[in-house]
Amino acid sequence: MDWIFLTELAINGALTGLLYSLVAIGLVLIYKASSVPNLAQGGLTMLGAYVVLALSRDAGMPLWLAIPLAAVIMFGMGFGIERVALRRLAGRPVVMILMMTLGIDIFLIGTTLAIWGGTSSSMNLGISYEPLLMGDIFISRIHLVGAGVALSLFAAFMLFFRTRTGIKLRAIADDYMASWSVGISVERGVGLSWALASLVAVGAGVIWGEIQGVDQSLSILLLKGLTVAVLGGLDSILGAVIAGVIIGIIENVGAEFLDQFVGGGSRELIVAAVLILTVMIRPHGLFGRHDIERV
Amino acid sequence: MFYRLSGVHYDSFASDSRIFKVPADRNLAVFFLLFGLAAPFIIPSLYLNSYMLPWLLWTAAALGLNLVTGWAGQLHLGYAAVMAVGAYSAVHAVRFGVPWEFALLIGGLASSVIGSLFAFAALRVKGLYLALTTLAMQFVMDWVLNHSPTISGGSHASLQSPTFALLGQEITSDVGYYYVGFGWCVLVTILMLNLKRTGLGRALVAVREKDFAAAILGVNSFYYKILAFATSSFIAGVSGALLVATFFFLAAPEQFSVGVSIQVLAMVIVGGLSSIIGSYFGVALILLAPGLVNGLVVAASGGLGMQVTDETLAHIPNAIYGALIVIILLIEPLGLGKLYGNVRDYLMVWPFDQLRK
Amino acid sequence: MPMQEKVEAQSILSMNSVEVLYDNVMLAIKGVSVQVPKGKMIALLGSNGAGKSTTLKAISGLLKAERGRISRGEIKFNGTDITEVLAQKRVGMGICHVVEGRHVFEHLTPDENLTAAAPLGMSRSVLNVEKEKIYNYFPRLAERRNSQSGYLSGGEQQMLAIGRALVTQPSLLMLDEPSLGLAPFLVSEIFDILQKINQEEGVSVLLVEQNALAALEIVSEGYLIENGRVVMHGTAEELKSNSDIQEFYLGGGEGTDFHNVKHYSRRKRWLS
Repeated sequence: MDWIFLTELAINGALTGLLYSLVAIGLVLIYKASSVPNLAQGGLTMLGAYVVLALSRDAGMPLWLAIPLAAVIMFGMGFGIERVALRRLAGRPVVMILMMTLGIDIFLIGTTLAIWGGTSSSMNLGISYEPLLMGDIFISRIHLVGAGVALSLFAAFMLFFRTRTGIKLRAIADDYMASWSVGISVERGVGLSWALASLVAVGAGVIWGEIQGVDQSLSILLLKGLTVAVLGGLDSILGAVIAGVIIGIIENVGAEFLDQFVGGGSRELIVAAVLILTVMIRPHGLFGRHDIERV
Repeated sequence: MFYRLSGVHYDSFASDSRIFKVPADRNLAVFFLLFGLAAPFIIPSLYLNSYMLPWLLWTAAALGLNLVTGWAGQLHLGYAAVMAVGAYSAVHAVRFGVPWEFALLIGGLASSVIGSLFAFAALRVKGLYLALTTLAMQFVMDWVLNHSPTISGGSHASLQSPTFALLGQEITSDVGYYYVGFGWCVLVTILMLNLKRTGLGRALVAVREKDFAAAILGVNSFYYKILAFATSSFIAGVSGALLVATFFFLAAPEQFSVGVSIQVLAMVIVGGLSSIIGSYFGVALILLAPGLVNGLVVAASGGLGMQVTDETLAHIPNAIYGALIVIILLIEPLGLGKLYGNVRDYLMVWPFDQLRK
Repeated sequence: MPMQEKVEAQSILSMNSVEVLYDNVMLAIKGVSVQVPKGKMIALLGSNGAGKSTTLKAISGLLKAERGRISRGEIKFNGTDITEVLAQKRVGMGICHVVEGRHVFEHLTPDENLTAAAPLGMSRSVLNVEKEKIYNYFPRLAERRNSQSGYLSGGEQQMLAIGRALVTQPSLLMLDEPSLGLAPFLVSEIFDILQKINQEEGVSVLLVEQNALAALEIVSEGYLIENGRVVMHGTAEELKSNSDIQEFYLGGGEGTDFHNVKHYSRRKRWLS
């Protein structure tokens, strides 16, 4: 076996995995605050990318302006989604909330494509496609940039959850009734988590848009984000990052071996298998909280 | 006034376990049954084949999902995968020379077996985690269908369905297909209507509400969960096989993709969990409304002289489909079935409802 | 009624014939009037489902979380009508409700629990002073300030819930069954601390209890609520010496006499 090749696979897998974490962090943020599985994160990611594209390509803004502006727009969008669609379902069974986020996902994808069309466009971040050569190992520049973005977002959120607003968000995640009773505005907190998730979606949309083009395929990142989030423990941002790296490596290395036997396309299979195994063996994931039951 | 009742009250156990608590509901059901029988003579065959038949078949499928999600409370995002098992096994069985009657049975049983695998996930986790597991299983099934030419039928990944036949009688006409779908849908509906009154139905509801508590009451939740999944999967399998046999005429992986799973779940939830009439409404809305609205958009854009690109038109139904889910959940989270119930309860005492307050 | 106005002027909270509807159909309390004098401890007594918790939720605004609403009557806090004010605003005004069943934030540490309850405008130094004060009242919490709250014992969780309420700097503290499921010595410990808080901080306390015996030891007045109505109101001494109260709530008296029960329930209908 060629060790250099294996290392290259692992490193690039880890970088790709960190990019999955970008999607997963959005899921985790919302789950943390409201225990709501946000199946609309794929749609949000796609919308984020299209908004950046609309601002930069159609409105002619430079990227350094378009991306922050898109972030602001999506931040408001996140608040809006929570206000309009999720708030009234608070306290309903999980199946309805799940369906609601699926409905939002379908609606966002349909509307985005109806407005901007389905042809794939390029983000044009201006990052060279020339791979970086480290020793004998080739590393993709855009993946490196994306991994950097994921890690800095991770650090930012770790700090955020130690601030007073962050602690209040975690309190909301624990117990709505108790939060209300001490004057925490649960609604605003949950809204904030959607806004933050939408903000992250812009980051994920830009990076993934650069890698695979801005089109409907961005919304399919949901499954990988979901798997990463579940393996990490759904409410742990640290978990999302570490699980991202793990899944990235397993997927990249595993696919290299498996593809010989099944004739390609085994990545999806590996990801689905990881998801099933995680839920069966350790539903709360690597770093998720156990639900504490006192009898 | 219309219902000649002041509300639903029971004065004996027998009256509580009636199928239709309100006589008017029974009359309505009888009316629709007769209408369904007479439909081929009333409705032009184009509409019969392209609207009524898929509506009935999808309703049968949705009722099966409603059994497991609505009654037993188990989230299921891999329903289309189970339908695919039924469809592919049935078609392969027929191509192998088995008559359709048995092939449908084989399809249903094969689905039951695979569907019970989903149940094993349900024994371990519930709620969101069950949804995620079933979703992952759906992806595995998608992958298997797309990557095994022996199942999906060669390089084009489409499997021609042999001519449908029952009791040695080949069925090729639209009317014939329609009656097959109609019969199956009625059968499933009768099963579901009776489910409410049986111990099985009550046990499922107990498992849904709190499986621990159900276990304390002596309800073996392990057994009932598997039973619910197996029954619902059987319905899924036969419905899937019939869809291929009478509507699609060929089986292809994308007919049973994850999007379809979501669509069936949307039908069930928009219609209303554990509501039978709701499933009929839900399927009608999710299946037919996007197309209708799209037609309206085309007409409106033509009328107003606006330029709507083909691409936009192609994606509008999806946007509408998503919007419908969101809107219905906002108006009435318990779905269209509950809305129907609200209207009925209102009319039942109208115009004397003010007296109650 | 000049008399009533005088009572209201001295009350931090006055609740006048409040009715509460759940889901627009179920009438949970049917005209409850309660006055809490400034700086005093008041108890609401009554059996399960009498409407005590609903009364507290009506005051704190938490009814909304359970699809309930006030359909009649008014609630005045320090003279201002708060009937329509949002729950989180009421906390800012000085009403804090310790809900039944020890709802602590399980996955946060006790320290973070206290931080979470801090009002938005509270500076870090003030918050630290508040925390120290609370740890002084509840030394058990100070020991475990950085462990996970979900693993605290029942008594410690109850203490944390009370401490967390104190961070909001309430002038009216409402407690719903603080003694629920706790050992008797813990109940008396918690009640002693409550009394201390009441005296030292000047916080008025409205206490809902089924453990009438313990409650009547520390409060000055009590209301007896049955079937959503106030059926009796008096000082702690009066209530303790009342034979009906002794019979039904204090476990004293000389055996249950069925005729008395019927007589009593008939009488109280006219009382409210």
